[in-house]
This record gives sequence, C-alpha cells and structure tokens, in this order.
Amino acid sequence: MISVHNLSKRYGGRTVLADVSTRFPARQVTSLIGPNGAGKTTLLMMLARLLSPDQGEILLAEQPVHDIRLADYARRVATLRQSPGINLRLTVEELVGFGRFPYSRGTLTETDRHAVADAIEFLSLTPLRQAYIDELSGGQRQMAFLAMTIAQQTDCLLLDEPLNNLDMKHAVQIMRALRRLCDEQGRTVVLVIHDINFAANYSDRIVALKQGRLHFSGPVADTVTEARLQDLYDLDFDIVRSERGRLCNYFNPQGDWS
Amino acid sequence: MSIPSVLSLGFVLLCLVSLAVGVKPMAWHALLSLSGDAWTTLTASRLPRLAAVVLTGVGLPMCGVILQQIVRNRFVEPATSGGLDAARLGLLVSLILAPAMGTLGRMLFALVFCLAACALYLAIVRRIHFRNTVMVPVIGLMYGSVLSAIAEFYAYRHNILQSMQGWLLGDFSKIVEGNYEILYLTLPIILVTYLYAHRFTVLGMGEDMATSLGVSYAVTAGLGLLLVSVTVAVTVITVGTIPFVGLVIPNLVVLYYGEHLRHTLPIVALAGACLLLVCDLISRLLIYPFEIPIGLTAGSVGGVLFLLLILRRNR
Amino acid sequence: MRRPLMLSSWVAVLVLAVVFVLLNSGLDTDYIIPKRLLRLAAMGLGGVCIAFSAIVFQSIAGNRILTPAIMGYESVYLLFQALLVWLLGTSSLMLMGQNGNFFASVLLMLAYSWVIHRWLFRDGRSNVYFLLLLGLVLTMVISTLTQFIQVTVSPGEFAVLQGYNEASFNRVRPGQLGYAAVLVLLVAGVMLRSRALLDVIALGREQALSLGVDYPRCVRQQLFLVAVLVAISASLVGPTAFMGIFVANLAYALAGTTRHRATLPMASAVAVGLFILAQLLVEQVLNYRTTVTILINLICGGYFLALMIRTRGRA
Repeated sequence: MISVHNLSKRYGGRTVLADVSTRFPARQVTSLIGPNGAGKTTLLMMLARLLSPDQGEILLAEQPVHDIRLADYARRVATLRQSPGINLRLTVEELVGFGRFPYSRGTLTETDRHAVADAIEFLSLTPLRQAYIDELSGGQRQMAFLAMTIAQQTDCLLLDEPLNNLDMKHAVQIMRALRRLCDEQGRTVVLVIHDINFAANYSDRIVALKQGRLHFSGPVADTVTEARLQDLYDLDFDIVRSERGRLCNYFNPQGDWS
Repeated sequence: MSIPSVLSLGFVLLCLVSLAVGVKPMAWHALLSLSGDAWTTLTASRLPRLAAVVLTGVGLPMCGVILQQIVRNRFVEPATSGGLDAARLGLLVSLILAPAMGTLGRMLFALVFCLAACALYLAIVRRIHFRNTVMVPVIGLMYGSVLSAIAEFYAYRHNILQSMQGWLLGDFSKIVEGNYEILYLTLPIILVTYLYAHRFTVLGMGEDMATSLGVSYAVTAGLGLLLVSVTVAVTVITVGTIPFVGLVIPNLVVLYYGEHLRHTLPIVALAGACLLLVCDLISRLLIYPFEIPIGLTAGSVGGVLFLLLILRRNR
Repeated sequence: MRRPLMLSSWVAVLVLAVVFVLLNSGLDTDYIIPKRLLRLAAMGLGGVCIAFSAIVFQSIAGNRILTPAIMGYESVYLLFQALLVWLLGTSSLMLMGQNGNFFASVLLMLAYSWVIHRWLFRDGRSNVYFLLLLGLVLTMVISTLTQFIQVTVSPGEFAVLQGYNEASFNRVRPGQLGYAAVLVLLVAGVMLRSRALLDVIALGREQALSLGVDYPRCVRQQLFLVAVLVAISASLVGPTAFMGIFVANLAYALAGTTRHRATLPMASAVAVGLFILAQLLVEQVLNYRTTVTILINLICGGYFLALMIRTRGRA
C-alpha cells in the first residue's frame, strides 16, 4: 500500500499540489481523476519518484520512500509514462527485456527470460515478439511498453494516461489487462485517466483532485455519483447503472451549464 | 518616457557621438566654412561610416524578422540558415572566376548563392519533423558548415584561406566615400518589408492559415527570401558578417511588443541601429586609436544578450 | 546484431590499413612505414574517440543529429590554440611542448564540461536542448573571436593556427600517442562495460529512473567521459565537426539495432575506416591538394544533407 501525507509542490510561484493526503490500497486499481491542471500527473510522478515533493511524505508499506534505494524501488514500483517518443530500433522482446534491468543489470538470466516471456504472453503479444517497436502502431507500442512494465514484476504499477491516443479496442485491452493484473496477480495499480467511464468501470477506488487539492476519494460506488462528479467537473452528469456497469453521460448537459 | 521615444532620442544622440569620434579630431567650428579639412573628414569618412552602420543595423534585424516568420522559428537568422556562408561562397566564386568583376557583379553572385541556399534550407526545414525548436537553427548551422567546407575546398586550392577568414569578420573601418554606396540598396528593401509586413505576419501563422487568409505562401516566402538575400549580399560585400544582430533584436522586441510586424518593425529598425551604433563606438574606443572589427564587438555583445534571453526563457 | 556484417566491416578496415601503410612505400622500413604506422595509430585512436563520444552522446540526448562537437567543445579548443599563438607567438609551441599542450587541452575541455554541467544540473534536471542552444551561442561568439585572432596574426602564425584548425595526423608524436592510447582504452573500456546501462539511458530519463537507474548521476558520468574523448580527439586529430553524426547514423543502419554492444564497435569501424580512406585519398590520389578535414566535412556534410532531404527525417 502507498499512502501520501500532506504533499505539496510549487513551480515558481504556482502551487500545483497543496496539502494532499490519501492512500492507494494494495491489490486494488485506483484511478486519479480530475480536470486539466488538477495535479494528477504531478502526484503520480511523485509516487514514481520522478519528482520530489516540496513538503509532505510518501510511504510505501509504512516506509518513507526516500529511504529506499532507487535500484530497490524499481523492484517494487514500476512506472509507465505516456508512450515516450522513442525512435529506438529495438524489438518488442528486447524492449520488454529492459524491464528486467533492476534485477540483472543487463545480462538476462533464465528467470529473466521467463519473466519476459510471461509478460509478452500475458498481453498476447507473442506474434509481435520479433517486431521492431518503431514499426508498430501506437496501440501495439503502448502494449509493448506495458509489457516491459509488467516484466519488472513489481507489486505496484503506476501509469500516466495509458489510454492516450488509443482507439477503443486497444483502450479496452489495456484496461482489461490492468484489471487482470490486479485480480489474478494481486498487484496494486494506480493510473491517471481522463475517461471517467473507464475509471468508473475498471477501478476499485477513485481519487479526485481539483486545483491541486484532494477533492474526494473512496470506493467507486461512493464516489461515482451525479452530485460529486458535477461538483468536480462543473458539468451536468447523468449516470446510468446496469448489470454491465456504470455509464456516465455528460455529453448533453441539461439546463444552464456553459 | 516610452521605450520608442527613448530609442529615438538615443538614436539621435548616438549618431552625433558617432560623428564626433575619430582618430582625426574634429574642428566643429571649421565646418561652418563648408569646406576644408574638417568638411572632407566629415563627408568622406564620418558620414559614410554612420550611414553604413545605420543601414546595416536596420537591415540585419529585418532579415532576421523575415526569416523568422518564414521558417516560423525564433532562432533563425542569416547566420543560422546557411545564408551567410552561401553569400561568402558566392563572393569567393566570383573572385576566382572573374577577378576583374566590379562590386555590383560580385554582389549579384553573392545574392544568387544566398537566395538559392536559403530556398534549399527552407525546403529542408519544411520536410523535417522537429521535436524541439532548437534543432531548426542547428540544422541551419550544419548546412552552413557544409557550404563553408565547399568554400574552404576552393579557397585552399587557390591559397586564399586567410584572406577569406577576413571577409568573415564585419569591419566598418574601411568604409569611405565611394566604396559603400551599394549599401543604400537596403533602403528600398526596408521599405518593401514594411509594406509587406502584414503578409509576413500572416506567413508566420503557417502555410495553411496563410492560404486560408488569401496569402500565397510560395510568392510571399519567395519575396521574403529575395529581400533577405539582397540585404545579406550587400552587407557581406561592403562590411562583412555581423552575427547575432538579426537574432537578438527581433527576439527582444517580441518580448515587449508581440509579433504584429506592422507595429513592431519600426521599433526593430530603431533598436537594431542603436545596438550597432553602440557596438561600433565600442569598437572604435576600446583600443583607441586602433579599432576592433565590429563583427567581434557585435558578436560578443549580441552573444551575451542572447545568452541572457535564453536564460530568461529557461526559467 | 548482424555479426557477419560487423566482422566484414572490421576486415575492410584492416585491409584499408594495410593498403595505407604499404602503398607506394617502397617497403622502406626506416622512415616511411614507421611514419605511416604512427599516423595509423592516431587515426585508430581518433576514430574510436569520435565514434564512442558521438554514440554515447546521442543516446543521452535522445537525438540522432547531434554530436558533442556542436556543444561548443571544439570551439573552446580552437580558441585556446588561437590565444596561445596570439599571446605567445609561435614560440608557444616550444614553450608548452607537445605534451604540455595536449594535457592543457584535455584539462581545459574537462573544465568546460564541468562548468556547463554543474550549471545545468543545478536543479537536478538536465536539459540537453538548453545545453545545445548554449553551445551554439558559445560556438558563434568564440569562432568570431578566433577569426579575429586569425586575421590579426602574421601569415606564418596563421599557418600554425590553420594546422590546429585542420584534422591532421601528421603532427602526432609517439609520446603523446602513448598517453592518449592509455586514456582512450580506459574510457572506452568503461563505456563498453556500461553498455547495458547506456541502453537503458537511451530510453529516456523517466523510463531509466523507473528502472532504478540513478539517471542524473549516470548521465553526468557519461558526459564526463564524453568530454575526455572529445578533448583527446580534438588535440590528436583536430576538430571534426559533424563527422560524429555521419559515423553514428551509418553505424545504426549497419548494425540494425540501437543496442550499444553492437553500435559502439560498429561506429568505431566506420570512423577509423573513414579516416584511413580520407587520408589515402589526400596522400595518394589528390596529392595534398586538399586536406582531410575539408574532405571529411564534404563527405559527412553531403551525407547529412542527403539524409535530411531523402528520408523526411525526424530531428
């Protein structure tokens, strides 16, 4: 489990995160939601230790993260940022192999090879094993990067807008994979996501930020409600509940929402 | 007091100071007789020099502005787009092929080379997908060094490498009556630039936007490159090369006045002239009675200004 | 990795080397062959320096059309040499001795690299593009200064300076070569050992950090090593400007991968081969009518432009 306490971050004179305290329970999928500029990505980058907070503390299983060596942290928490614009000539298998770097520092052992093969298998990427990543489609490349993160075999995965620029099919594939990682392998997943419907249907817990502050957090059932979402996004919401999940409709505002 | 009026006042003062400074002390009262030694000094050396400095100081930032709009990048000027190197190559070719050719002929050579090189640069830059704006001038510098390599290849075979280095460096000390008049060609250029200012602004919004606003990209860009090439060719022939002026002035002006060229061009012109006048005075006074080439002072002053600009942006 | 291609490249380099040493030598083992072996050694070391520094630098920058040469290193070296000749005259050669100059240059480059990086990493984040812009400005300012000095000095001193401006293998001395060899082997060894780490660094800051790599520290270390290599190659063979881009890109294409265990050796083969080829051409075909630098600049510049125009490259 990861918990954060009184996190603050300022860039220049602008406060991007102010006094945020919340927790990300183990073996759950938690979605960070909120309007643009709410500080979601900043918070995620701090969890990933890509940014350091000005104030406050992050605990990984009750241990302050800055006490953990970076190399050790990489075996417990893996991060995937928006598919980086890398034009490296690497095969999918080679890329996924990088996920084993925290363990083997570059020379793959038998265990590493198994982990790589498992990760590729898990995302059904086996046919693309030998394909070069600079020749893949955007969705396939995102899957390959996710496979690399999975091969890192960490308890916790952090993802920054993993669905960005993906078509519906790839988006569903990725979200299903994350759900399975949580349910089948007991991993903790934290992701920043813009699509409220994916967040509502695939996560256990919602953490909503607005203007750098924690707006609300809690299980999906308590948080994905008309009142709270309206308050968060300043939009009119109509939530349809069925056996197949929740559908948040904000496309046709009723009344005076400009 | 507003910045434009400070600039105008400074410009007038700088002009007067520039006229007064020189190795030969000026007897101002002697001027009243409208003849004699002092009068000759004034008309044969001081005034031509002042005119040359002001014309170059106005012309170079104009080139920078036009190129920056066409290429849509803040860091482009003749020195970072291969234009200067090409003009130098053209000059070299004219010297080797036709040593007896007059100034006008040489200028035409420099002009044609510069125009062709700028057009090719534009074609290259438009094809490349850039991830960072800094790469645009980097490509330009590389391109320029290829042109330089060709020039050096030539110069080495004809044993004029050192004198070629000399043309690289802007220098006003050799400006006297009779050898700088071609610089007046920049006057119509400045005028045309001002008249077309609006089109260049539109061009800066990109080809699609320009076309939808009824401005032909090809024609306007071609005209812009021609204006730049004439200015560069004329300057290289008479003065030599002066880096950074075309870069710093437009960037400074954009910071305070935005990019509507019709409004900013006069300020750009004035500021460019002032900067070059200051640099010229430094050149003449620093190791008085000797002179430092303007290319060096303008390069240093401009370089420092530019560094400050970047640092500011980076914060 | 394409092993057969790697093997055949090195065989080709070997053949070139043998041809270079023996062609028209009259099998003169007293003078010609030892002299040529010396040059060959310089080319080998210089080639490895350029190849390793270019590849590692591009991995850090995440950009395939940059070389450390553009970041101001070479212009600092040239300015240093120009200042030496300007201040001390040609006697500086005797005063410093070949080794003195060599070590002074290496130290100077390291100091330059240290200053820049200290300044850049002050907030813990690196910005390669900012560094690039800085290098660009410094290059322009410094080269203006260098040109000024070049124009001021006498033709005799100019010849000496021009010697530094040119990549040349004729000025190496055995002692200097020995020091350089030790340093190059050491640095190249460290880089080869960290090839897996370099592969991760090439994935970018965030991915590398997420894989548990202390990115800022590693980048600082690698850039330090790059500075050492650039210093050695500059003082051993002179400035080579854009050769690194050519070498690295050809190596990526030939190796068919971007993993450093393949690209580092492949790039070395390309660089050494290119040096030998250029030197052979200058010595045997062109009869010293041009210099290795000019030839290499032409080849690499032409390749670079073709690459940009043909492939609609990304930069």
